[in-house]
Amino acid sequence: MNKVLRLDSRSVSLLILVCLWVLVIAGLAILKPAALGGAMLTSVLQFSTILALVALGQSLVILAGGAGIDLSVGGAVSLSAIVAMLLLKAGMPSVLLPFACMGAGLLLGLFNGYLVTRLRILPLIATLGTFFVFSGLALALTGGAAQSGVPQWMLSWGRGVWFSIPVPFLTATIPVFVLAAVVLGYTAWGRWIYAMGHNETSARLVGIPVDRTRMILYALSGLLAGVAGLVSLAWLGSGRPNIGQNLELESLTAAMLGGIGIFGGRGGVGGVFAAVVLLITLKTGLLQLNVNTVWQVGIVGALLIVVLLADRFYQNRR
Amino acid sequence: MNASVRTIGLNGRELLLLAACALAIVVFSIAAPAFGTPANAATILRNSVELLLIGLGMTFILAMGGIDVSIGIVMGLAAIAVGKLLEGGAPVPIAALAGPLAGMALGLITAAVVVLGRIPAIVGTLGLLGVYRTAIFVALGGQWLSGLPTGLTELLYARPLGIPVSAWIIAIAYLAAWLALRRTPYGPHLLAIGNAEEKARLSGIAVTRVRFATFVASGFLAGVAATFYVATYRNVEMSIGSTLALDAIAAVVLGGTSILGGRCSLIGTVLGVLLLRILQNGLLLIGVPSLWQTVVTGALLIGVLGMEAAAGRLKFSSIGQAAR
Repeated sequence: MNKVLRLDSRSVSLLILVCLWVLVIAGLAILKPAALGGAMLTSVLQFSTILALVALGQSLVILAGGAGIDLSVGGAVSLSAIVAMLLLKAGMPSVLLPFACMGAGLLLGLFNGYLVTRLRILPLIATLGTFFVFSGLALALTGGAAQSGVPQWMLSWGRGVWFSIPVPFLTATIPVFVLAAVVLGYTAWGRWIYAMGHNETSARLVGIPVDRTRMILYALSGLLAGVAGLVSLAWLGSGRPNIGQNLELESLTAAMLGGIGIFGGRGGVGGVFAAVVLLITLKTGLLQLNVNTVWQVGIVGALLIVVLLADRFYQNRR
Repeated sequence: MNASVRTIGLNGRELLLLAACALAIVVFSIAAPAFGTPANAATILRNSVELLLIGLGMTFILAMGGIDVSIGIVMGLAAIAVGKLLEGGAPVPIAALAGPLAGMALGLITAAVVVLGRIPAIVGTLGLLGVYRTAIFVALGGQWLSGLPTGLTELLYARPLGIPVSAWIIAIAYLAAWLALRRTPYGPHLLAIGNAEEKARLSGIAVTRVRFATFVASGFLAGVAATFYVATYRNVEMSIGSTLALDAIAAVVLGGTSILGGRCSLIGTVLGVLLLRILQNGLLLIGVPSLWQTVVTGALLIGVLGMEAAAGRLKFSSIGQAAR
């Protein structure tokens, strides 16, 4: 059935991005050769860390089917970072900061899971609502101001670089993706997720605890958003209430480009990882070429549509 | 399978909304002296015009099991078209018509992507939202359109038969929507698609055509709203329409239209819009910062659906199939 690195039938979408990626790199090499190098690698991976974590959560939720989607990821990243910083201000020992951030993300994810699996609210509406609640709360609780005061020991983690590779990328993103790939490919629980996404009714009939699994996946998506929030704190040194802006669009685009089928049950995390790196390279490259950042959201949005249209076209021809 | 066709009278949900509006009015009037004035009532009504028009379109889209998160930005882009024309000295009627035309053109794009491209509406319109945001930045060039000529605004002050123009437009839009829904085959077809798209297709309903037309009509209404917006405020800011889609979805769901499709209430949408705008206005007047508005709207959306679920009124089976 599905391989972890399933790129075969989905190679069309990845091909589009690889072509774009080559174009950007080639453009950079011609127009601004000085920009290519270790610093660019560090910068790309630094930005990739946050998107990769969020895109993984998004992908897991979509994989499990049932019209699964998590539009609240960006709001969850902002709010978990803000909640952790506000708790710190209220006197929480700084050692607990990582746990507060991840705990907040987990709770937000559990809330989404509750809305979807217990109250049976359509995922897109439930997470659209929580997206506005989470991102609105992050802004309203701070009045829009960045919250400073991240402890030094966290900064040395967040800003550390090892052979041009950011330490958070090595210690958070890589392990999480390896774990996800192993769980999805080699454990029964991972196969359940594919089974649910492929055919929910059959999955229920063979005794898979569909609702509980889905609840855990939404919680995981929240937890990963919390980790992403933590990375943003340790990297930027402050909690920014709008740090998660546009992440719902970018994570969705990364998941689709990476070969996750929008109806669930199809795709693997390897493709998502590649898509995240390619997407961020594209964005960073455009930035280096002095293309205004307002173009980024439009390009990501257009990519999302193009990749889905290409997928349709490919499937129709098959 | 509650595709009931009601023509007159209010159902329980609508009465409840009416009561909620009344309660909100009473509470805010006591809490904030500035709330219960005729001037404030006029403000609330004026602020509701765009949302009413967009809400009517959203009612149709949700009733057929779709969604459009880009509709607020569609209004923004159409408003830029109107504003740019006014700024360039175009005749008022042409500028006024540019709104609906631009809205319809953008509705065509949405319909092409979502209906012809067969992309799930939430993903397709989210992608378009990104594209349109960039388009707004590029079209405005980083600057607001402000201090636009007053030609269009003067039209708003006209009172044919003693009734303001905006009321006429709302009434006409509502009547047209009601007729389409209750007096033409389009209505039952729309609700049938919302109930079960595949069954509707098999029973010979032109599903693609109905869905296509609905997205175009919704774009058209957003375009009419754009003309109103420019006429009322005489400026177009960078963040125009950014929360309108959420407001519209919340108002429509509040009004009793099912997000799983197949059930809709136009009068419910009107009451939902009024309740939302009363709440937003009232909270502002009792001193809640405007940053809390999206939190309140989002919470209201989830709260209403949560309570519906608790009351067991949502269809419990096959949410996966209904969604797609």
